[in-house]
Amino acid sequence: MSEFDAIVVGAGPAGTSAASKMASSGLNVLLVERGDPPGSKSVSGGILWGRELSNLYPDWEKSAPLERFISNKVTGFLTEDSYVGIDFKTKKFEREKTGYSVLRTRLDGWMAKKAKEAGATVITGITVDGLAWEDKKVVGIRQADDTITSDVVVLAEGANPRVAIDEGLRAPISDKDVAIGIKQVVKLSEQTINERFNLRNGAGLAAEFSLGFLKNGVMAGGFLYTNKDTISAGVVIDIAGLRKDNKTYSFDIMDQFINHPYIAPYLENGQLQEYSAHLVCEGGINYVPKLYGNGYVIAGDSAGLSFSNGMVIQGMNYAIASGISAAKAAVKCKEKGHYGESDLAYYDELMQHSQAIEDMRKFKGITGVTWSPMIHEFLPKFAENVLHDMFYETGEPKKHLFEIAMENLIGSRYDKKKLLLESYRMMRKM
Amino acid sequence: MNIEEKLSVLNYKTDPTYEHITVNPSICEVCPDNFCTFACPASCYKMIDGKLNFKYEDCVECGTCFVACSHGSVKWTNPKGSQGIKYKLG
Amino acid sequence: MVLEIVVMVKQVPDSQEVVIDPVTMNLNRSLTRNVTNKADENALEAALSIKDKTPAKITIVSMGPPQTESTMIECLARGADRAVLVSDRAFGGADTYPTGLTVASAISKLEHFDVIIAGEESSDSSTGHVGPGVAEFLGIEQITYCSKIEYSKGHITAERELEDGTEVVRCPVPVLITMLLGSNFPRRQSLRRKIDATKKGIELWNLEKLGLQPEWVGVRGSPTIVRRMQSIKERERAGKRITIETIPEMVKELYEKNILKVKK
Repeated sequence: MSEFDAIVVGAGPAGTSAASKMASSGLNVLLVERGDPPGSKSVSGGILWGRELSNLYPDWEKSAPLERFISNKVTGFLTEDSYVGIDFKTKKFEREKTGYSVLRTRLDGWMAKKAKEAGATVITGITVDGLAWEDKKVVGIRQADDTITSDVVVLAEGANPRVAIDEGLRAPISDKDVAIGIKQVVKLSEQTINERFNLRNGAGLAAEFSLGFLKNGVMAGGFLYTNKDTISAGVVIDIAGLRKDNKTYSFDIMDQFINHPYIAPYLENGQLQEYSAHLVCEGGINYVPKLYGNGYVIAGDSAGLSFSNGMVIQGMNYAIASGISAAKAAVKCKEKGHYGESDLAYYDELMQHSQAIEDMRKFKGITGVTWSPMIHEFLPKFAENVLHDMFYETGEPKKHLFEIAMENLIGSRYDKKKLLLESYRMMRKM
Repeated sequence: MNIEEKLSVLNYKTDPTYEHITVNPSICEVCPDNFCTFACPASCYKMIDGKLNFKYEDCVECGTCFVACSHGSVKWTNPKGSQGIKYKLG
Repeated sequence: MVLEIVVMVKQVPDSQEVVIDPVTMNLNRSLTRNVTNKADENALEAALSIKDKTPAKITIVSMGPPQTESTMIECLARGADRAVLVSDRAFGGADTYPTGLTVASAISKLEHFDVIIAGEESSDSSTGHVGPGVAEFLGIEQITYCSKIEYSKGHITAERELEDGTEVVRCPVPVLITMLLGSNFPRRQSLRRKIDATKKGIELWNLEKLGLQPEWVGVRGSPTIVRRMQSIKERERAGKRITIETIPEMVKELYEKNILKVKK
């Protein structure tokens, strides 16, 4: 007889969602988090997209600690001298709020509190050392000399899942699976942020850039997200490119981004409140491990459930959705009184039909595009030159856009055939 | 602001009794790339007089070095209990 | 016979998180979370190391708002046996005098006690009054600012750090000890113990339980009155972290900063 029906490792969006859903369905749940309080080890990717939380807490938009709803989405390129961006604002986003900026100590703390209210035993400040096994079945967790037993263990450890890796439940992480995320949170008054970004009434901005000013094949994206009275600015760095160059410091890329002539003014006179770093799952569907086994399931970032196509970046909503699915599977197992591998396969079944896996499957191979020289080197420079030539008044007879584009294309040092191929790939995969 | 100044705003609960990351000096001594020194966002890995110097006290627990080291020198574990980095915003 | 040890703890704002608001120049506590006072963790560790050798029971006593529970549960997870939180609106705004009285009353309501251990002072008010105050209210001996304590045959042997050496004091129980900040390494919390403590919860005692009059405690029972608060404008700090690897480098740095001077 196990002490708990379920033990959840990790109190992020995945773990707290799983714990809450299981506890409110009558399961005896233990949630263990090494950070104290929850969220003190977490770094928000920025925006919580989607409405997964409404499945757990219908009133979440009123009660959750959300910073700003996103009304303005920017996607663009930064080169040494220029900023080229698509700046999309719509009243539609204000009516049908689709994304919110969040800070994780607040969000995770709130979600852990909700799990506790649902009846889960929430323990913080304790690191789980590993799993307890019996006859090739996971029967609980280990901490120091103790074993705490449960019928199922939900591993929701985040992007650097020590227990899952050490127990051999997922492959170790490689360069292609993750990127290095670095973030700075800068304090400014709410009013200053509203003025600088032209925002009103709790509206916010989410901006992502490809950093075309980087050299030697180093590739990174930059982001700006507005919170209530802070701005999150950061970079996501491709490890393979950084490794190949082996001359550029990751933290210098962060500096280059926030000191860019068209980014720095947004952050001017802001006080640095936090510097943070976190791995960002980028591996796509190939990085997703087997999601379940005898007595365990894996959820959230630990399972590589995140998505990025360069335009949209998602992770927290998938985490919440996978936590809920894991809980549904555990509840079903409880009803059957059996938590074997074939019973927990129900979690996999739910996930295979989930938005997360379907998105990831549909955009299979996208990382080859998002981390391509096409996006990070050619396009920024090309866009800059074409726009420059188009708007620059030389006094000479004007040229058609097509003419300018062709000139720049021919003038660029890229292999034309490869470009054509890459453009095609991009259109297909993105 | 340099990286040291940035790290100085952070709240660390350093555990003097447990180094959660360890490196194997015999591997690092002959390392051809020292990629950890470029990858680590907290600059915990530094080359000093041609020797790798690692300090776990500044670690923000991102896991980058675990991925970055392709020579099997980095042994990565979570700090015990609530020790280590304590983000106030996240 | 089991040795009955009482450990006094306090929950304090995390001093590393108290920041100056750049706009108002006031202390911004909105980002400040509460933690267990560090010296009190040393007090608990001193108690636990006695318990390692001698059959003992450790009771945590604290006065504070209900959220102090998290600190108490942490203490139980480290190895304490019982936790009593003295909490009542009437205790609010107390200075060190009624705080000592309140905690002493709570301790005297326990069935028995042999040794009381407190931290040398709290990091938020730094008075160092409450420990000695409790000893006075209870009319027992006290040994303050100890770096190490041991128990044997009804006596506590304590080492006190003095400017020019160490003083060793031996005293029969009952006695109150205050432990120096950083005098030991607090042991880790156990998951098993933390689960048990979380499920069981802690004991909450109010004014009525202690049998104290409202005018003796809290702000009404406090002889000190804060006349004026002055916020001092913080001197602009360089906020610089210097990485120094060798002693000659350090000497050079200090010399260049005019901190170290050459005697002529």
